[in-house]
Amino acid sequence: MTVWDIPSKQSASIKSLCTAMHADVAIRLQEMGFEEGQLITCIKRTAFNGPTVIQLGDCIYSLEQSVANHVNVSAL
Amino acid sequence: MQKILLVGKPNSGKSLLFNQLTGLRQKVANFPGVTVELKSGVFKAYRHTANPQSGQVLDAKQQFELIDYPGTYSLKSWSKDEAIAIEQLLAAMSDEKTSVILCNLDATRMERSLVFALQVQQISKQHNKTVVFTLNMVDELLRFNHNLDTIKLSEKLGSPVYAVSAKTLIGISDLQKGLSKIAISPQEYRVKPTDINQQSFATAAKILAKEFAIPADVVLKRQNTIDRFLLNSVFGGIAFLLIMFFLFQSIFTWAAPLMDATEDAIGFLAGVVSGLLGEGLVNDFMTDAVFGGLGSFLVFVPQIMILTLIIGLLEDSGYLARAALICHKPLSFFGLSGRSFIPYLSGHACAIPAILAARTIESPRKRFVTMLTVPLMSCSARLPVYALLIAVLVPDVSYLGGWVNLQGAMFFVLYLSGILTALIVSSVLNKMTEGSEELQDMPFILELPSYRLPHWQPLFYRVVNSGIQFVKRAGPIIFVVSLIIWTLGYFPNNGDLQNSYLSAIGQWIEPVFTPLGLDWRYGVAILVSFLARELLVGVLGTMFSMQNADDNIAGLAANLEADGLSLASGVALLGFYVIALQCVATVATLKSELGKSRYAWGAFLAYGVLAYLVSMLLYMVLS
Repeated sequence: MTVWDIPSKQSASIKSLCTAMHADVAIRLQEMGFEEGQLITCIKRTAFNGPTVIQLGDCIYSLEQSVANHVNVSAL
Repeated sequence: MQKILLVGKPNSGKSLLFNQLTGLRQKVANFPGVTVELKSGVFKAYRHTANPQSGQVLDAKQQFELIDYPGTYSLKSWSKDEAIAIEQLLAAMSDEKTSVILCNLDATRMERSLVFALQVQQISKQHNKTVVFTLNMVDELLRFNHNLDTIKLSEKLGSPVYAVSAKTLIGISDLQKGLSKIAISPQEYRVKPTDINQQSFATAAKILAKEFAIPADVVLKRQNTIDRFLLNSVFGGIAFLLIMFFLFQSIFTWAAPLMDATEDAIGFLAGVVSGLLGEGLVNDFMTDAVFGGLGSFLVFVPQIMILTLIIGLLEDSGYLARAALICHKPLSFFGLSGRSFIPYLSGHACAIPAILAARTIESPRKRFVTMLTVPLMSCSARLPVYALLIAVLVPDVSYLGGWVNLQGAMFFVLYLSGILTALIVSSVLNKMTEGSEELQDMPFILELPSYRLPHWQPLFYRVVNSGIQFVKRAGPIIFVVSLIIWTLGYFPNNGDLQNSYLSAIGQWIEPVFTPLGLDWRYGVAILVSFLARELLVGVLGTMFSMQNADDNIAGLAANLEADGLSLASGVALLGFYVIALQCVATVATLKSELGKSRYAWGAFLAYGVLAYLVSMLLYMVLS
């Protein structure tokens, strides 16, 4: 399961960042707090497979599918 | 001069804090990445010393250069541009002239801000520099009755901490006093040893945030509720279209009374000056070149200010980031990013800052495409041209109780035409750059800022400044060109335009513009306006004023209408101005941002040819 699969208003725990991800993107996500064990909540799914909106800690981020698909999570 | 470096995460309120500490008026907005280049100002520190003999307190000023760095999420680079900003920051940290690092944190998003703050503190310590933390936006915390214990937090961090609101000025006076002392004697405030060194920054930030920060759910509750509506698949899209439609309608309807008042004032002034001067060469010059040329252009200043006001309101409210999110998917079909929306919208005010704003687009390829297509947005310099021609071609009628105005709707169509052209060109450029190693593609990741009520003061300055800059930028050149055009049109037959030097030159170039249904006067105005678009209005103003000496001086639209500008020719002229890149400053900015002059001049040439062909096609179809 990845961040992209979290339904709206549901939460999950980050497991890992996919190794296939571009190194620069992985670094940026880590800086933004995408680390193992962090709780992530889907705030909104946008229309036509647009970016998903998630809450991580005290920040709200939007990630497009190609990134969200590379963050592995486990359902709570 | 000793330096203070101002650093922080994107959208942490750094620029507004910079303005409050320096008295400058740098642009601020509520979305990440507003500061794209270093800005510096002077911070005046006050030293209070008592004379040991008389006991008298002496005030002395010491000036420091305060440098505002672009916001970064960390001190590790992610893109080439961010790497440059970070390299500059690290170099400045090791500079012996740097006395203090002022690290600004968002008090409403403390956990993430603290991770960055601890990185900054560690590097400052390595360079033996003093760090001061500001927790900005505490006014938001006070709304939830959350008080920050800055003394305890300062002990935990080992550096001074100030709770401030750069927007409402809470704590700014204390910060100024404290920063004065620290900047003058930084060695007394070096980073003290703490327990933090034993933990990872993420863990330390989490622990500190748990103890000091307001719970995230409290702050984000309202934001998430609004987002559920504004990002809704149906209502979000409708709200977006309504906001954009309102933006373009208001440029016309709200500005109309102000424009009429400006026009009347210029006409009145022209009448007074003309009466005082009596007949003759000087009077003709003042009437035709100064009031006819320069006056026709000044009429449009209120529209530019209203456009800036509405864009500023959208930026400050936090809505722009949502608009970028809504637009991401549709824009991605054209090879653009949701982040391209912000430069595109800013481009409706001026292409130059919009091209600079495109630096924040992570993907080099999408950044390249965005920068090259931003000049197709209908910037404020096009506005006078559109407003003039719409006033000539479209009747001033309103529907739905005055909410929808036909001229306003035409404005919307023209702006939309610019955007559609940009999207088509983007698709072409995207195809052309596919597989380029130099122009890599990167995904869309965006932090959504909190919704905030816009702060009137920076917005007011920005609106006033937009009018002043518009006049300062184009005024002198319009005056000089009006002077040349008037001289060429006045001689050798004392104001007989049809038998003047200008007419001779114009008739020589007229064949180029005949396929667009335009005579030599428009041809001259178009050619001159390749320096700056607004010149079209000034040049036509001078020529038509000379031709219709008895008419209302600033009533250029009435003069063009009376002269019989046909619908086909007028629309062809509008089509030309929607596309052509007639701005030397924009070409220069493109050259410096893209690093190669062939891209900038290529765009200039390609848009010029495309504008001519589209214009010709429009004329052929409509006539």
